[in-house]
Amino acid sequence: MTLSTTKLRSSTLSALALGAGIALMTAGCSAQTSGDGTSSAPTSDAGPVAGGTLVYASGDAEPTCLDPHVGGNYPQALISTQYLESLVSKNTAGEIIPWLATTWTEDADGLGWEFALRDDVTFTDGTPFDAAAVAANIAHLKDPNTASSTGYLAVGKVKEVVAVDDHTVRLELSTPDSALLDSLSQPWVAIESPTALKRSQEENCASPVGTGPFIVDTWVKQDKVALVQNKDYNSPPADAGHTGAALIDRIEWRFIPDSASRYAALQAGQVDVIDNAQPDTIAAAADKNGIAELNAPRPGAANRIELNSSKAPFDDVKVREAFIRAAIVNDGINSLFFGTAERSYSLLSSVEALGLSTPEYFDTDLAQANNLLDAAGWAEHDADGYRVKGGERLSLTFPVSTNQSIPAEQSLFQQIQATVKAAGFEVVLEPMDLSSWYGALAAHEYNLVSAPYTKVGPDVLRILYHSASITPAPSGYFANLAQVNDPEVDALLDEASQVTDPAKRAELYENAQRLVLSQFYVLPLYDQQNHYLHSTAVQGLRAMPTVSTPTFYDVWLDR
Amino acid sequence: MLRWLGLRIAGGVFVLWAVATLIFFALRLIPGDPAQAILGGPGSQASPEALAQVRLDYGLDQPLAAQYFGALGRLLRGDLGTSYALKTDVGALILDQFWGTLVLTLAALAAAWIFALGLALWTTRGGWLSDRVGSGMEIMAAAVPHFWLASVFIIVFSSWLGWLPAISVPGPIGLVLPVLTLAIPLAGFLGQVMRESLADALESPFALSARARGESETGVRWYHGIRHAALPGISLSGWAFGALLSGAVVVETVFARPGLGRTLLNAVTIRDIPVVTGVALVSALAFILVTVVTDLVDRIADPRLGTS
Repeated sequence: MTLSTTKLRSSTLSALALGAGIALMTAGCSAQTSGDGTSSAPTSDAGPVAGGTLVYASGDAEPTCLDPHVGGNYPQALISTQYLESLVSKNTAGEIIPWLATTWTEDADGLGWEFALRDDVTFTDGTPFDAAAVAANIAHLKDPNTASSTGYLAVGKVKEVVAVDDHTVRLELSTPDSALLDSLSQPWVAIESPTALKRSQEENCASPVGTGPFIVDTWVKQDKVALVQNKDYNSPPADAGHTGAALIDRIEWRFIPDSASRYAALQAGQVDVIDNAQPDTIAAAADKNGIAELNAPRPGAANRIELNSSKAPFDDVKVREAFIRAAIVNDGINSLFFGTAERSYSLLSSVEALGLSTPEYFDTDLAQANNLLDAAGWAEHDADGYRVKGGERLSLTFPVSTNQSIPAEQSLFQQIQATVKAAGFEVVLEPMDLSSWYGALAAHEYNLVSAPYTKVGPDVLRILYHSASITPAPSGYFANLAQVNDPEVDALLDEASQVTDPAKRAELYENAQRLVLSQFYVLPLYDQQNHYLHSTAVQGLRAMPTVSTPTFYDVWLDR
Repeated sequence: MLRWLGLRIAGGVFVLWAVATLIFFALRLIPGDPAQAILGGPGSQASPEALAQVRLDYGLDQPLAAQYFGALGRLLRGDLGTSYALKTDVGALILDQFWGTLVLTLAALAAAWIFALGLALWTTRGGWLSDRVGSGMEIMAAAVPHFWLASVFIIVFSSWLGWLPAISVPGPIGLVLPVLTLAIPLAGFLGQVMRESLADALESPFALSARARGESETGVRWYHGIRHAALPGISLSGWAFGALLSGAVVVETVFARPGLGRTLLNAVTIRDIPVVTGVALVSALAFILVTVVTDLVDRIADPRLGTS
């Protein structure tokens, strides 16, 4: 008997330990989630052939909902690009081009937009695409029950949607919105069948219905989503390579979180396209026959380190400049990214036509950094070589999201940490999982931070640097992490977001960017990286110039 | 025997309650708002209206004690709740994913047993060199982490040789690398204890008398030795099953296999509390069942234990 009671106790303890282990894992765990937009694949001599199944392997977490209205993140945009379409799109020159809407006009006061819609398009459930469908979609985005967090921002200024006739729709705005067309081009604002939207959210998440070249067929959770060709497809965007139905019959969309497994599966021919390709993998694939790369930087903000100006020591512009002058970035990018990423000197992605690049603010100069710190009162050094002022060490907290910063980026931060030490800065890198990271930001427990932001168009500047974005959402989230609080910047961004004249808009955005850059709030690194590797059998692959998601509409398989 | 079984069942229920309670409170200690998790995970920019709606719908506005007893009540009725992220029934979700993990872990357990027993019987007391080589291999096998082994297997067998798929495919071929990854470190552990017990057995009087009766060394080893080598292995199998369940998190992720481990990892990342709790409870339940079964087998295989 004694034996069995001891056994009982030991198995009880083991089970408790198992439970505690899971709880601990919860607290400390993390999973990995993150050009010219045309592929480097050699083109085949033979013409396109129809048919075949393409296997796509995503390194992002499996979406919890295939309708990108719900929530609204990049993994959803990636897959929904294949079955949902928006009112407008963008071409590689950055111009807005027709898609489900053919023409549009803005009222003179900027408070109303009228869109003429295509009258020959049908959703894949048979529902006709019309003005009522557009109204139903905007209502769906604005409904709190939908829990949209990206799409609802895009239509935030839309006050009312009026169906002028079956195929003309008017959007009445609360204030003029120069970013409206950019916003509507995003996959998070794609148009879905109003009939399908009436189903429960659970149903609509499992099989959203659009007008796109593919249709969601089945979704086996944790395994794959199967998409099949829409045979009646007739609504490609104006810059597509062909008309009519897609060329391939079927797409299998798989989720392979581990980057080495993803690449091995591509090499073994188990999958045809992989995303989230890491720098070392891209470099290794460069001299492999049969594998090509698609480099499609994301729009919106460049990846950058932001300096929290709301508290010491970065409330002093001298200290901010000293940090930026002391940080040696280029060597790290060259060695850690194997030539796959190019240094940026801009707040905006290189795909944004209105981005301002200012290398002049980012020359490294250790002597100047030291002078600036002396002048700012950080004149003494402690035993460890760090600067001190009034007994306080010049120490900077840098929470790093291991979900959002790829390993190469985390190593880059370590190199920056090492180089700024020469000027007497102590950088404390704190790797953490996503929830803890957002928690640290919400609690203002950071001096440095790097947070990606994807959005079409320069209006992302208003989201990131307008003082209104310091006010947190109910979750504690706020986007202005540099905490730029400058009435002049606010005024420029407010005016730019409302002005109709494109030249004036460009000038206002340029001035706003120069102000932010010249005050050393931000250390730009590179574009938000977005690399795909694919088998050279995949022909005709391109990324949508909107949010750089690949589209398989023009793709054919040269097997 | 009945009294023993009753005690085990009572103990099991207590463990389940403790796991549920621990997880319920531990998940609330870590940063991250459940309402945020429901509305698209951390960093979502959900509107105040949406957050308020969700808090109401999921009872998150209730005091913690009310939420706790509510959750326990639902558990007693066998209701594991609704996933925050997938908005589907957690019980059905787990049932969907459970078989994949069960097949993987049981196959790995069987493979580990075969490797460990085979190696121990082959090399124990087989001379200085074979003993050293055998125990050296066991120590090495026990020390390799799953993620490392998985990466090496993928590089060698998928990228270089192209023999086996790098990611899960339907059918037994897709199981080979995941099972080997889980089985090898476990075989190392099992092999070490089996070797010790086998070595004792081979020196014990009954082995001596068997030899004296004229049985061959192979006969002594494979007939008499095997029971003694197996005993500690059986006792350890309950623990081994638990270890395999946690190993499944890594293996399912690396080999992109559907299963409970991957479900758990995804759920943890997005703070999907009902799914995390559900997977933990089901894992604990499976663990308890396996320990009871191994104890039973232990008693049958070793009559000395059954006398009390």
